[in-house]
Amino acid sequence: MTHEEALKLLQAYVDGELDAARAVELEAHLAENAAARAACEGLRGMSAAIRAKADYYVAPAAFARRLAASVPLAPEERARRRFSLPRWLPQAAAFAGVVALAWVIAIPAMRPGEDERLAAEVLSSHVRATLAGRSFDVASSDQHTVKPWLSARLPFSPPVADLSAQGFELTGGRLDYVGGQRVAVLAYKRRQHLIDVFVWPGEAKPANATLDGFNLERFAKKGMSYWLISDLNRNELGDLARLLAERSTP
Amino acid sequence: MLPHLDAAYNLARWITRNDHDAQDVVQEAVLRAYRFFGGLRGEPKPWLLAIVRNSCFSWLQVNRPADLAGFDDRVVETPAAEEDGPEAQTMRAVDRRMLNDAIAALPAQFREVLVLRELEDLSYKEIARVADVPIGTVMSRLARGRRLLAEFVRAVSRAAETRVDR
Repeated sequence: MTHEEALKLLQAYVDGELDAARAVELEAHLAENAAARAACEGLRGMSAAIRAKADYYVAPAAFARRLAASVPLAPEERARRRFSLPRWLPQAAAFAGVVALAWVIAIPAMRPGEDERLAAEVLSSHVRATLAGRSFDVASSDQHTVKPWLSARLPFSPPVADLSAQGFELTGGRLDYVGGQRVAVLAYKRRQHLIDVFVWPGEAKPANATLDGFNLERFAKKGMSYWLISDLNRNELGDLARLLAERSTP
Repeated sequence: MLPHLDAAYNLARWITRNDHDAQDVVQEAVLRAYRFFGGLRGEPKPWLLAIVRNSCFSWLQVNRPADLAGFDDRVVETPAAEEDGPEAQTMRAVDRRMLNDAIAALPAQFREVLVLRELEDLSYKEIARVADVPIGTVMSRLARGRRLLAEFVRAVSRAAETRVDR
């Protein structure tokens, strides 16, 4: 090892980031080279001096209290709320999903080809999310939280409606990849049924279908196409589709 | 107490160099973390520090653009020579206030990596995540920051000695 090489590695060595093999080589060089040893001691001295003498600014107690009071929910409370769904639900949904995929996919009301492929992607996204117990990346029942979160991550701004008065509780939103593009997914809940609403810019003829156990509804409004999927019954899913169509002011 | 609040505050305080501004920036960052990510659920420290760090730099850009001016990662590296580095003796002798002043005088991008490395004890990988730069950049900023800090410390030590001599 040349002296230049050694000097280059010194910092990583002092920071404990050098792999064992090169550390051994460097130590051999340090043993026989006084200048390298002095440089090493200097770096160690600086690190020790900063750790011992530099100020560490602890958050002032009054500030910490004020901040804790201003955040919406205590973290533990939020965590409890987030995981309040029954434990068996994702597994049950996943099992149903696997069964559904194993069967021949029949989508009578929809055009074959492109639509069938999208429906299959929507279905697998829904099943994957419930399987992982992760229906949303942003957990919130507040449309004014979910919408900006999605808008910030997408090239479009999906309409997000609060339909809790109609019995469809918004639980959050997530991003997914369907039909070769990033799409918004809104997660709603009705009783114990999870409903995913996929939204992306585009046109689609209204249609509904059943993919062995899962109901699918589709419509387009104001340049956005909506795909709803759930194990909820067809009538109630149709209600949600109508409500969303009425409220779809972007 | 919110998780990692002291680390967040320490970083913001060192970058903004002011108690009041640090509080503003940390408050904004924490609220943003809550709003966008549904709360702080014991995420690793670098995750929160990355948000705080971004808030700090956006804040500086708006309120103190001069603090960020004139910094360039592509500056041609002068070949490392041992006389550029810190001397163990000088570092042992430097007093607390002198050292703090010297760190505060570093460009924000150097101060940031040094604080994360020495005061928060983050690894190169974690620092890269917080500052959103490649690990190679973390290493070169650390090296340049340390060399500069050694120069500052040498300069103030010499100035102090001259004063004592007089």
